[in-house]
Amino acid sequence: MIALKLVTIICEAHARKPLTELLRDVGARGWTAFAVEGNGDKGPRLADIPETANVQLQVIVRPEVAITLLERLEREYFPRYGMIAYASDVQVIRSGKF
Amino acid sequence: MELFDAVRANLLSPAVLFFALGVLAAVVKSDLRFPEQLYAGLTIYLLVAIGFKGGVAFADAGFAEVWLPAAAAIALGALIPLWSYPILRFWGRMSVVDSAAIAAHYGSVSAVTFIAATNYLTAVGQPFESYASAFLAVMESPAILVGVLLGKRAVPKSGLPALTGSSRQVLHEALFGRSVVLLVGALVVGGLSGAGGMAKVEAFFVTPFQGVLALFLLEMGLVAGRRLGELRKVGVFLLGFGVLMPLVHGFIGVVLGHWTGLSLGGATLLGVLAASASYIAAPAAIRLSLPEANPTLSLTAALAITFPFNLTLGIPYCLAVARWLYTP
Repeated sequence: MIALKLVTIICEAHARKPLTELLRDVGARGWTAFAVEGNGDKGPRLADIPETANVQLQVIVRPEVAITLLERLEREYFPRYGMIAYASDVQVIRSGKF
Repeated sequence: MELFDAVRANLLSPAVLFFALGVLAAVVKSDLRFPEQLYAGLTIYLLVAIGFKGGVAFADAGFAEVWLPAAAAIALGALIPLWSYPILRFWGRMSVVDSAAIAAHYGSVSAVTFIAATNYLTAVGQPFESYASAFLAVMESPAILVGVLLGKRAVPKSGLPALTGSSRQVLHEALFGRSVVLLVGALVVGGLSGAGGMAKVEAFFVTPFQGVLALFLLEMGLVAGRRLGELRKVGVFLLGFGVLMPLVHGFIGVVLGHWTGLSLGGATLLGVLAASASYIAAPAAIRLSLPEANPTLSLTAALAITFPFNLTLGIPYCLAVARWLYTP
């Protein structure tokens, strides 16, 4: 078992493609995305059509990558898109995959 | 009188009535909800059906007949933002980026509005050039490009670093976005397979078309209705803009169609395309390239004001203008 960071990003669907570019850029080797809906400080995000839905991206990375990722999110993406991001500790097996 | 009859024929069509039902269901907060996958599936069906039919007609008419109105459609799409921008900027006192973003939405087009217009023309027995769906395909992107340029040129450096590969993504979306691929692809397939191919798929793509459209508009009524609350946020100016610009653009589109040799029905469709505003392709491109723009303003104007207006009144208005123009 090895300790890594799980970074979760919940964002508007329009941010999905640009975000996957960023994930590649910082060196994340894989990620998972799914459509979600919910409420934010600007009211409900209607998930009735794909274009206005929310997307949750999850990526497991090394701690130093998580810091780069969160810093770049704050600088480049938060001013542009509706989104939140957070990191949590996870224990993984098969550490070579990350 | 002519306008009144044209409007009544439209308002009592199943498609528009189902749209109204959707709006009503959203307003009373019914739990009625379409699965997202059904929405995506119906979109694919409608775009393929309209593209295929257009392709068959395109092959029949030949390039010589189509290129001039198609060029007019592209030019109109690119020009609409150029006069919409100053109106928004100086009369509406909107910021530079918001003006550019909204101008891009209004120059680009709404496929559903176009499809509803072909349905309406069929219902009132007005023949039209089916290859007009090629105009729909070529009018989506030029306005977005012009709007982005307007916004970029005028924005003082915001200090935001550029996103990795964002201009490549905008270009990729404009050329290979799913609506472009479906529509252009179906046009080519229709053109290659011709009338013989049409006979094979007619039972699926033509006969059930009106029913599918009615179902889709029920969903669009829900989508538009849920956003009516946003109207409070956009202000009186944008409300007026969302209703008056379709009238002006519809008129210009019909006149251009007349000049470039389209029939009465074809000119009506070019008018409807000019009058419509994009709420799928434009928001995606603008979010990427003009992130400072407020998406609530442009999306609410296009989706909650202009789309319902065109669906109910704008389409019969364009037909009435065309009938007036084509009367010797």
